[in-house]
Amino acid sequence: MNRVQKIAWSIVITTLLGLALSLITFARLYPKYGGTPKTFAAFSFMGIVGLSMFSPIIFREDKGTVKFDERDKLIQRNAAWAGFAMSNLFFALACFIPFYILGANTLIRVNWLPSIYVGATLIYFITWAVAILVQYGWGDKSGE
Amino acid sequence: MENNQLKNQIRKLRFERGEMTQQELADKAGVTRQTIIAIEAGKYSPSLTLAFKLADALQMRIEEVFQYEDEKP
Repeated sequence: MNRVQKIAWSIVITTLLGLALSLITFARLYPKYGGTPKTFAAFSFMGIVGLSMFSPIIFREDKGTVKFDERDKLIQRNAAWAGFAMSNLFFALACFIPFYILGANTLIRVNWLPSIYVGATLIYFITWAVAILVQYGWGDKSGE
Repeated sequence: MENNQLKNQIRKLRFERGEMTQQELADKAGVTRQTIIAIEAGKYSPSLTLAFKLADALQMRIEEVFQYEDEKP
């Protein structure tokens, strides 16, 4: 497993952990507070994904004289495009779904805007990580 | 990445050259060991430049290292 795969795994693991804690907390808060911002604060557990920012420091450079080649470049470019496409899709859905559900004359709280930005960023990194693992392989042997 | 019709003899040629390791070949061709493994397994088709570098590292002609198999009837 190379360094980029390890970084991708750290993003996937922290995302799954953050999502699990968020959903559990959301389910516990919903009966008490309903669909209020207090309930949606449960998703602040997704901040755990930020811990993966330390992974480039934790995981050292790969062995060997060559650390990056044409295949790595292709894989990382594909992963970046996949991440961009998914975050763009998320942004589009976040804009259009409320419009179609709530109607044109409804007002929504502006605190949704930073949430959409954070969500799109998360979607980008999660998609990037999954695309990296799909292309390199999920484990030690499949990637080699 | 994906299986393709480009077959190669890299593994066989490595062993014919004094059991050259994947890392040695990777260093000679200027790529990572993972890329050599992926090419040997038919999961990645190298660029033409890399194919020439690999052939050069194995001291063979490119068509002796890589073969294209047309599967059309």
